[in-house]
Amino acid sequence: MFSRIAYAFRETWESFRRNLTLTAAAVLTSAVSLLLVGSTFLIQRAFENLLVQWRGDVEMIVFVRSDASAEQITLIDSVLRASPTIIDVEKLRYLNKTESYEEAKRIFAGDPVTLGLLTPETIPTQFKVVPLSDDPNLVRSLSDQYRTLPGVEAVALAEDEFEVISTLSNFIRVVTLVTSLVLLLVAVGLIWNTIRTAMFARRREIEVMKLVGATNWFIRVPFMLEGLLQGLIGGVVSCGGLWVLNSAWTSGVTSFKPGTGISSLIVPDSYLTSVMLILLAIGAVVGAVGSAIAATRFLDV
Amino acid sequence: MIRLENVTKIYGTETVAVREASFDIPKGQFVFLVGPSGSGKSTLLRLINRQEQPERGDVWVAGRNINEMPASRVPFLRRSMGNVFQDYKLLLNKTVFENVAFALEVIGKPRHAIARQVPIVLELVGLADKQDRFPNQLSGGEQQRVSIARAFVNRPLIMLADEPTGNLDPTTSEGIMVLLDEINQTGTTVVMATHDHRVVNAMRRRVIQLDRGVIVRDQERGVYE
Repeated sequence: MFSRIAYAFRETWESFRRNLTLTAAAVLTSAVSLLLVGSTFLIQRAFENLLVQWRGDVEMIVFVRSDASAEQITLIDSVLRASPTIIDVEKLRYLNKTESYEEAKRIFAGDPVTLGLLTPETIPTQFKVVPLSDDPNLVRSLSDQYRTLPGVEAVALAEDEFEVISTLSNFIRVVTLVTSLVLLLVAVGLIWNTIRTAMFARRREIEVMKLVGATNWFIRVPFMLEGLLQGLIGGVVSCGGLWVLNSAWTSGVTSFKPGTGISSLIVPDSYLTSVMLILLAIGAVVGAVGSAIAATRFLDV
Repeated sequence: MIRLENVTKIYGTETVAVREASFDIPKGQFVFLVGPSGSGKSTLLRLINRQEQPERGDVWVAGRNINEMPASRVPFLRRSMGNVFQDYKLLLNKTVFENVAFALEVIGKPRHAIARQVPIVLELVGLADKQDRFPNQLSGGEQQRVSIARAFVNRPLIMLADEPTGNLDPTTSEGIMVLLDEINQTGTTVVMATHDHRVVNAMRRRVIQLDRGVIVRDQERGVYE
């Protein structure tokens, strides 16, 4: 038994060395496709974090005209507080002109033109409202009601932005998933081809093995191990790449001003670890499948 | 030991390689399959070690119908047979010793058994002093001896030889035939396909002659004609 295992590993290693170029191509392709798969997971998670935070934070903003009187603002405030079953009164917050301008500076940091149109005097003040209800229709009818109050300039529902972000994140997910699936198929193909080449290079040996009565499994295992190893190495490389990407991303996000909500884009380490494990598993499966197909197809010589 | 019953082998749709072939080879016999190239000699050998399956008829080896044998049992059938070829089919990157050991290695023989059996069989074929040479460093006759050693190292019941002297000069061929005869003397059934008149006429063993896939003569102690 031991000599069989030793045999399988020795043959795998030999074949690995012999087809270094092809092996490198197969490993790289699987690494790139797995990296894409991993990135998809992380991007998805980051978007979800962001959405959850927005959902839990502010879902409705009542903008008050900059020229509204103090009485009008008090009225709006009392109307908002009049329905404690629908909105979370505890979290109700009023941002005066300075605060609103501060926030605008943050939001439009990358958009100086829009920011230029706003001044601390002309900026609308705002009520941040957190609805308690999960029913979007109820929230919407509430917002329609607020819109008619004197002094109210507009009511923005985070629901709308939420939808945009949702659509965007779905779109990105579909694109990256499709791309990575295509690349994974390419990886299977390349591994298949590497194994086929390896088997072709050793067809004489295989013929002799069959003639002296080696079982198909005995012949097949070193090749399958080789494919498995290629997929696994691809997985390890992709994990390294993903770790580098994520570290760069995390440090980039951390350097943003704290409290902007952007920090929710950081993916927790535990999640990264499980994504890496998934990548390793996919790599191994892809390698094993590719080589198993090749080994089975080309064994009947 | 080997029995064919009305065996027909067709390649593709109409190339009939063997037609309605029947014969019975008892244990320990030495049989020549003779006939011109393409007459079906090699196909018969390939039917016996189940590299091919017949379209019709049955092939029996050691009391078992090998065409009804599941594919997973075929390797074990082949362990009871040794194969020798015109082109030796040696592995060029392995030494004489390793080539012979390979046959035992791939059927899972333990290392100590390999270390014991290989020198014995190399002694038998007269290559004990060349066990560390590579095939390219040997003459044709010596390479064929290595391939015979590889075929015989597992002490098979049957030895199948396909034109084993096809690439060798008459003197060397004679040496190979002496070796095959010795192997036959140990009780191994030998089936040898050849179109070498000299070899057949010198040995005076059973001759099965084929012509375009049909057995036209089956004679005890025959000559080539």
